[in-house]
Amino acid sequence: MTNVVANIVECRGVTKHYRQGAIDVPALRGIDLSIEKGDFASLAGPSGSGKTTLLNIIGGLDRPTQGSVKVDGEELTGLSGEALADLRLTKIGFVFQAYNLIPVLTAEENVEFILQLMGEAPAKRRARAREMLHEVALDGLENRRPARLSGGQQQRVAVARALASRPAIVLADEPTANLDSKTAEDLITLMSHLNQISGVTFLMATHDSRVIARTRRHIVITDGRIASDERRNSAG
Amino acid sequence: MGGFRFLLPLAWRSLWRNPRRTFITMLVVCVGLWSVLTFAVLLRAWSASSRDVAIRTITGEGQIHAQGYLDDPTVAHRLPPPDAGLMAVLNGGAVSAYSARVRLSAIVQSEYKTLPVTLVGVQPAHERQISVLPAQITAGHYLSGPDDVGIVLGSNLARRLKTRVGKRVVVMVQAADGHLAERAFQVVGLFAGPRTAEDEFVFTGLKTAQRFTGIGSDLSEIAFDVSNDAALPGVLAALERAVPGADVQSWKTLEPLSYAVSTFFDQFVLMWLWIIFLLMGFGIVNTQLMAVLERTREFGLLQALGMRPRLVLLEVALESVFLVGLGVALGAAAALATVSAFPKGIDLGFLARGAELAGAGHILYPVIVPSDFVTYSLMVWVLGVLATLWPARRASKVSPVEAMSHI
Ligand SMILES: Nc1ncnc2c1ncn2[C@@H]1O[C@H](COP(=O)(O)OP(=O)(O)OP(=O)(O)O)[C@@H](O)[C@H]1O
Ligand SMILES: [Mg+2]
Repeated sequence: MTNVVANIVECRGVTKHYRQGAIDVPALRGIDLSIEKGDFASLAGPSGSGKTTLLNIIGGLDRPTQGSVKVDGEELTGLSGEALADLRLTKIGFVFQAYNLIPVLTAEENVEFILQLMGEAPAKRRARAREMLHEVALDGLENRRPARLSGGQQQRVAVARALASRPAIVLADEPTANLDSKTAEDLITLMSHLNQISGVTFLMATHDSRVIARTRRHIVITDGRIASDERRNSAG
Repeated sequence: MGGFRFLLPLAWRSLWRNPRRTFITMLVVCVGLWSVLTFAVLLRAWSASSRDVAIRTITGEGQIHAQGYLDDPTVAHRLPPPDAGLMAVLNGGAVSAYSARVRLSAIVQSEYKTLPVTLVGVQPAHERQISVLPAQITAGHYLSGPDDVGIVLGSNLARRLKTRVGKRVVVMVQAADGHLAERAFQVVGLFAGPRTAEDEFVFTGLKTAQRFTGIGSDLSEIAFDVSNDAALPGVLAALERAVPGADVQSWKTLEPLSYAVSTFFDQFVLMWLWIIFLLMGFGIVNTQLMAVLERTREFGLLQALGMRPRLVLLEVALESVFLVGLGVALGAAAALATVSAFPKGIDLGFLARGAELAGAGHILYPVIVPSDFVTYSLMVWVLGVLATLWPARRASKVSPVEAMSHI
């Protein structure tokens, strides 16, 4: 275990209200949360409790109504759209529930794409893409397009892509929701392994009890507030 | 900067996600450009033909007269024989040919009929370089030299006068001393040409005409051609300097109708280009907008991953560059093929009278002007891509959060 206390994510008093016509929908009602470097955390809670909203705000995809969010020491409120895009590119790795990949690019190109956006040299980024695909055990499938990969393989490409840029944190929103239980099990094992060998920080919104069981930190959110936040030793 | 080169494969492959739509859009661009280019070539040929008929019949690309001659083409307005200064310009490199003439309103009389004509005294060797009429003899022969005392009539005039080669006609013209001179000429040849020319002009030797009218070595006009169109203004200026006080004019003012016709065609091509472009623009914008809307989620993903909105716009614009570019290439190739299918010109004989009315010859010679091809193709390409910037902007404005929740 690492005893570094640097916080990768710091949320202070984060609220989010959506307006739907005249109605004000409070999605987050004051979140204080720190994610430490190396955390392997799950964010659980009933449907509509605000998991996706919180991940989007931490990931710089959405802006809080109030409060402050720092990622890797950088304050997000006040950043321009372009600056947020750059932050997502360099500091965040995303894994979404589905349709994660660019359909016209091969597995390897999907991973490489991020590195191209970052301006990496061709030889270097190709080597990195191969390395990441090897890490997620997709050797031999580098040249397949997403349509010819199974759901689990697609999610693994997404994980490889999320890690390729060496981000400060990987945010995963229901990464296993579209997978059968065996494939979901494999994916969570893979992510846990990557967390342990490379120390990458993970925060995963999920309903999946198998995912929750494998994480070392369990955050529960209800009705836009943190209901509990416990650390446990991983079962696996 | 080659920073966006990696977008090329993404743009190219995205284009083929929906091959049917891509083909249809390409076809629209292709047919549109084809019609613009083919039209441009045909209209240019028509315009060149009408200009040629105007210039080659007798006018030349420019003429020198004494002041007042054009309003009153009689012996009263004469040019002195060319001096050394004028000869230097006429024999200079910018002038490709010239023909000195006596050209006067006259009356021709046969046993049956009297008709108004224009008597033209020519040096046949020079005249042949300016006018096509000497080469279009249908009976007898053309004049043999400036001293030839025969007369050459238009075929239609001969028919109206009920005369023919070998017969005599009488020509009456006002002479230098003010009297009406009268002289019999033997018809030595008949020429064919535009109906108006056949009816108007009768030709004899230059010296014969000068003696007949008593004007010594004086002339009515000098018609000239220039070595290339661009040289015309310079030649006009040089001639004005060489013969101060003379009336020097280009074919554009001598044949204003033909000139107007030829410029009208250029305008027409441009108008057609805009009409086609508007139609094409609607098609392209429509299909690209559909393509962008279908891919909302994908554009949201690209932005979520950290692609800047401007780069997203560039990616969609690149797709249009490929899409419209392919259509343009095909359209230009199709137009080239169409034009090359008529290497011997397009014979408008079947509507010859109509064509002649519009001032053109029977056969149009389509010419591919490379600058036209390049200009029109580039215009369609650039405008087509510009039209797709609107859909592209929409793609770049996609909010990643909303797009990602939109399946
Ligand atoms: N764009 C939006 N406009 C209005 N209300 C929204 C919007 N997005 C989310 N909400 C609302 O905010 C609340 C939190 O939604 P959120 O998607 O964060 O929940 P969640 O915990 O991810 O749920 P789930 O488990 O179903 O994914 C819900 O009440 C939801 O209806
Ligand atoms: Mg959610």
